[in-house]
Amino acid sequence: MKKILYVFVLFSLSLVGCSKMLDIDSTRVVSEEHMWEKMEDTRAALLGVYALTKSALVDRNAFWVYGEVRSGEYSVPVRRDLMAIAANQLTANDETLEALRNWRRWYAVINAANVFIERAPEVLVKDDRYNEANLRVDVAQARLLRAFAYFYMTRIWGDVPLITASSESTFAAKPREEQEKIMAWVEQELLAAIPDLPLRYSVNEPEQLGNYYNEAPSRWDGALATKIAAYAVLAHLAAWQENYPDVAAYTAYIMDNYGRANISYVATNSLTSPNGFFFDKHSSQMFSFPGVWAHLEGAFTGHIEELTLAAPVVNKSAPDIYLNKERIINIFNEPKDQRFSIDTLGNPLNEGYFRNFNGRYPIFSKIKCIQGGNTDPYFQIFSSALVFSRLEDITLLRAEALAVLGEEAGATDLLNRIRENRGLIDYSRETNGDLVDAIFRERHRELMGEGHRWYDLVRYHKIKNNDPTFVRLIREGGIYWPISELVLQNNNLLEQNNYWK
Amino acid sequence: MYMKEKFPYTCNIGVLVVSILLSQIQLFGHNRTGNHVGAFVTVQDTVPQLLDSVFELNFKNIRPSSVHKSAADIALYGYATIPQSLKGEAAGLYVTEHSGEPGTPNYMFVRGISTPIFSHKDVYLNQPLVVLDGIPLISPHPFSYAIQAYDIDRIGPENNLLSNIEIDNIASIEVLKDPATIAVYGPMAANGVIKITSKKSAKNDKKRIGVNSFIGMSQRPHVNTINGSFENRFRQQFYDLYTTNGRYDEDESYPIYLSDSLNSRYYGPSNWSDSYYNNGMNYGINAAISGGGSRSNFQFSLGHLQNAGIAEDTKFRKYGARFQLDLQPLKWLFFHTSINGTRLARDRNKNLRNRYAMMSYIPDLSAPLAPNREAYDAYRNEYNKSFDDNYSNILEGNMMVNIQFSSFKLQSRLMVDYNEGFRDLFYPSTLMENNNFASNYYGYNQRLIFDNVASFDWRLNKHSNLQLDAANILQWDQHKYNYAYAYKGVNDFIKINLLESDPNNGNYLNPTAFPRQLVFKFLDRTRHNLVSFYGRGTYNLLDKYTASVLLRYDGSSNAQPTSRWLFTPSVALGWNIKNEFLQDNPLYESFKIRASAGRLGILNIYDHIAQGPNYTAQIGYTGNVIVPGYNGMAALVRPYADGWIGYDMPWAYTDQVNVGLDFQLSKRNIYFSLDAYVKHNKNQALTMPAYAEYGYEYTLEPGMDVRNTGVELALGGDFISAGQFRWNSGINVGFNNNRLTALPGGREEVIVQNRMLKVGERIDAFWILENEGIYQSDADIPEVDGIKMNYNGTAFKAGDPIWRDQNGDNRITAQDRVLRGNYIPKVAGSWQHNFFYRNFDLKLNFYFNLGREIINQEMSRRFDFINNENSGNINAVKEITYWEKRGDYAKYPLYNPWSTVNAYQANQDLFLENGSFLKLRQVSLGYDFSNILASSLDGGKLYAYVTANNLFTVSNYSGRDPEIANYLGYDEGYNMLIPRTFLMGFKLNF
Repeated sequence: MKKILYVFVLFSLSLVGCSKMLDIDSTRVVSEEHMWEKMEDTRAALLGVYALTKSALVDRNAFWVYGEVRSGEYSVPVRRDLMAIAANQLTANDETLEALRNWRRWYAVINAANVFIERAPEVLVKDDRYNEANLRVDVAQARLLRAFAYFYMTRIWGDVPLITASSESTFAAKPREEQEKIMAWVEQELLAAIPDLPLRYSVNEPEQLGNYYNEAPSRWDGALATKIAAYAVLAHLAAWQENYPDVAAYTAYIMDNYGRANISYVATNSLTSPNGFFFDKHSSQMFSFPGVWAHLEGAFTGHIEELTLAAPVVNKSAPDIYLNKERIINIFNEPKDQRFSIDTLGNPLNEGYFRNFNGRYPIFSKIKCIQGGNTDPYFQIFSSALVFSRLEDITLLRAEALAVLGEEAGATDLLNRIRENRGLIDYSRETNGDLVDAIFRERHRELMGEGHRWYDLVRYHKIKNNDPTFVRLIREGGIYWPISELVLQNNNLLEQNNYWK
Repeated sequence: MYMKEKFPYTCNIGVLVVSILLSQIQLFGHNRTGNHVGAFVTVQDTVPQLLDSVFELNFKNIRPSSVHKSAADIALYGYATIPQSLKGEAAGLYVTEHSGEPGTPNYMFVRGISTPIFSHKDVYLNQPLVVLDGIPLISPHPFSYAIQAYDIDRIGPENNLLSNIEIDNIASIEVLKDPATIAVYGPMAANGVIKITSKKSAKNDKKRIGVNSFIGMSQRPHVNTINGSFENRFRQQFYDLYTTNGRYDEDESYPIYLSDSLNSRYYGPSNWSDSYYNNGMNYGINAAISGGGSRSNFQFSLGHLQNAGIAEDTKFRKYGARFQLDLQPLKWLFFHTSINGTRLARDRNKNLRNRYAMMSYIPDLSAPLAPNREAYDAYRNEYNKSFDDNYSNILEGNMMVNIQFSSFKLQSRLMVDYNEGFRDLFYPSTLMENNNFASNYYGYNQRLIFDNVASFDWRLNKHSNLQLDAANILQWDQHKYNYAYAYKGVNDFIKINLLESDPNNGNYLNPTAFPRQLVFKFLDRTRHNLVSFYGRGTYNLLDKYTASVLLRYDGSSNAQPTSRWLFTPSVALGWNIKNEFLQDNPLYESFKIRASAGRLGILNIYDHIAQGPNYTAQIGYTGNVIVPGYNGMAALVRPYADGWIGYDMPWAYTDQVNVGLDFQLSKRNIYFSLDAYVKHNKNQALTMPAYAEYGYEYTLEPGMDVRNTGVELALGGDFISAGQFRWNSGINVGFNNNRLTALPGGREEVIVQNRMLKVGERIDAFWILENEGIYQSDADIPEVDGIKMNYNGTAFKAGDPIWRDQNGDNRITAQDRVLRGNYIPKVAGSWQHNFFYRNFDLKLNFYFNLGREIINQEMSRRFDFINNENSGNINAVKEITYWEKRGDYAKYPLYNPWSTVNAYQANQDLFLENGSFLKLRQVSLGYDFSNILASSLDGGKLYAYVTANNLFTVSNYSGRDPEIANYLGYDEGYNMLIPRTFLMGFKLNF
């Protein structure tokens, strides 16, 4: 019996080690204790904020649906969800609309930025390679992205809850904050981030010396938000607030510094080339979220090509959205426009913007980065960058501001810069009509398909105040989207937008 | 082969310890045997088994069999998988066969579901544990759904791994349901246990040979086909009603394939079904040899079986080999080894939907497959240039050492369960817009168990004894897969994703045949370790009363560090009425009353819960979930899509109470068994929608309680027993009801993924609108204060459905949906009739599900053609079977399909149907030649039979077969019918 006991004691001793057996580090997630230890963690977390911003923008092609489809100018042959949006029936019972009514993805950006701002300083202590300067630039980007998310949301939903801390112990529900306050906060945040942001990364700018995260400038150009990007968002914010003096001030900084930031105007053929401006990443994509082919970031969805392209550009019978012939002729009403113009017989002189112009569906093919920038119609994987703003946008925005402020000469000059680049003769009131109209028309043509149209329309109607239906829509809050039922159910401090009640 | 990864060091220590232990015992044993041989050692006639049930320990016959049909009878049906074979055979076990495609996974539910099912992966949480000869089999892990855009097939071979054992090799199958029987298996057994025991070897110093074989066919079904003209007529009704010029609005375009009535592909004869459907061949052969004596014996068997489907040449083949060796080298020492190896190969369906989902790419859907046979054959010809190599290897091994000295026993077991799956897939470019596709999957599930049980049978006095057991179990689980897929290879001749193999080449390890930018690679691995201790005392008095207490202590690596261990007790009581009161009553063969109650932990299936708040790469978006980073670099963010996981997540557990009584009469083979249970699962984690303003889709919160209650009844006996003729009948029936008793945070209701969970209601109810007809004119639409009745803000118009405004607020919203029906049947079971006359027997098996509803989603999609036509939605893909007439078109009103209220949405009672059914599942006729051939068979048996499976279904369901609804209770119409099969075979033993 003693021996049995002896055996048993030995046996049980072996089991002490088994307790360790239960501590497994997951290979699928990173636990709190293994995060915020080294600079690879801050890099991953910061790029995570960028990735979430891109996801929020491209999920169900939101960027183009909010910015382009909602203008109602596109025809929709097949998709009932897009038809409903184009007709401003935003409460329609549909999966796509439900997703677009939900702001969760934007708050994921905000939460990730909040977590980053709160936690990144921990790495300073734990990793010698990570320094104050690096942290400053990182935090500035997080703040910029967070401010951008609020700006974007306030354009979509108006008033939204303002949450500036991760609050992971409580996740306290918050009511909606007035959009004026949100916008004031956004402006303040961007202005605070600007001193810490470089004009370009890894080029020894005073704000960011040396190679950023040990990578050359080619890695970061077009992929990260710079000082210029911050001013671009500020300019759009001020324009949305109809604060044109500020628009003029913020755009002035860009106009003065774009050369230093390696930004230039884009030639028409590059604009419409499969491997041109929208392909890959580069610094002229002033504030953008690229889908770099070489990084395996090509995707079937989340690019405007998915909505606009169809036969003969790609092998798809009908596009999701298209502009009909009359509308195209109406928009491109000047001869010699390199983007699109027709001869006297009605045949297109160039096919940069539109293919199959005389067919059943004219295909809006300005952006067509198929696969690695080719023209193979058979595999619809796309690689275009989502460009929030480029130099032409800022130039025209500045022209708009100057025009509204009465500085017609400056405005005309800026407008003509764009017109010249596209082969058009200089603006004249006699042929082109009112200056503000001409600037907006130019924006329409130049920035078509880049997610600006709806907001341009809102600004235009605010300036002009001559379309009673649209003015009523603005006044009653109909320019905003309804809030998802799911979101309302889970936070009882929220109320549906009045217009959609 | 299975030691691909190094096992953790604790295991090595464990192995070392057991070796030391053995050497000690051996010494010890030698001493003992030297002293008093024969005084206490008796030669056992069987290798001792660890008995899971206290009832087995004490009075061996107190637990009635839960599966009344013998394994030999079950084997007559010729099914490849255990779940198919067990369907309806045990009260309280509900087996779903949501597709008739052979070899696909079937889900089993013991005593209902105890956690709600929202997607495929939740089904895994409700599966019982399958124990094969003491080895708790590892089940596949749902983690790969994380990289899948569509919840359709899991990547990999998706073979039904529970086809790993030949039914002919099985001695018995038990379904263990109550705390008295499952507690010993620990937290893995929280959803019940299917316990399979294979046949023992012959021990009479003779060789035994058994050969079983059958051959048969799956019968092609008869279907009514339709062509473009039918579909066009169907759609024109709506255009006639709701449009003036054949276009609802100016942008609308009518599908080209329907608009040209001269197009013979669509408007010609619809004879695709001759190429699509086929008769399939089923066969099986199994041979076993066993021999040896009582001190050493062996068994070896080989088997091969094929099940075929009724369409697209789907087939499932398995090849099995099994070896078992029992040795008793010393009187007190027993060795047992068994190895079971199986290879599964499956020819899968050729559905477009499954293909697109696997490719994560939906091409232009404007031209569906044409119903014309020539067109379809041309497509099939191209399809045949693809390959789809889909197979699994399964290996179970068990090594057991038993040491026994009279009343003291020590058992050490080392058990391995390993299965690996492969799927090599290639689709040629002609199949899809000039793009070919290749993918390769390799994955494995591996379980290693080292367990030790010491038992002491303490004879207290003449009338009573106390059996004591103490056990320790260490278990290591690992799941892993490597997966890669690629598009647009250089040509259709190179069908695999080749990599540059020259290390000196700058392109080393980059793909050569497929473009690097279109090759997507995935690696994933998850582990789970479980450590258990338990002690059990079983007291037996006078063979009348038994009482047992089992105390367990389980630690799981998937539990949070602060609550890693869980203590759970269980108690079982038994009362042998026969011995108490009916000792002298010859009518009662046996009569017992049982009661048990206990608690068991419920394991977390995912390892992230143990990590608490964590970071992951969930940065993808709809249609592109696999984004790993940004700008070519990895990204880490909070798990916004999966949901927030906080600290203080406790173990979930199940509290179960069971009472039962069983008796057997000595006359007419009458048996009766009744069980009543309450199974209350508590503290389960639920993904609750929350914190949207912090970016989260959900938060994972503990505190969901679900109670299953039910009664199970099995009874049977001979109706007629007259001379040579006997009519025996038996019924198994389980009544089950589930109820949500609590939600996290004391919430009363929550909406998760379009299902409503409400305290006091069922967790498998549909949440639907009640349909009350159609608004004939705009004037019919109720108006309150100048506001027309609307649906989520969209005003109703003529032609829209009338949905009942439950709360009377003149708006139809989520609040007007009601909980109705349930898809887990309230009553399920079977009724068997066996007729015996001389050497003939005839067996009939009726299988039924009652009190069950399903949604006919297929008809909802059919009527919702406006939203589905070329919508790019994976669930709107038209298979060739689109050209089959299914369902009852007359049932549905002609709503305005263009309306943005989405008139034909599936979640309304218009599409809710009674899913109850009764099937004549089997008929078999057999003849036993044993008597005739007695002399030449040397005590063996020869039995020949013919069987027909799935002969007819009685149901009110308007669709095809109510049984093939998916795991959410929706009949999507994509699944293959369960075939009707006929087979003939024989069983020979000599």
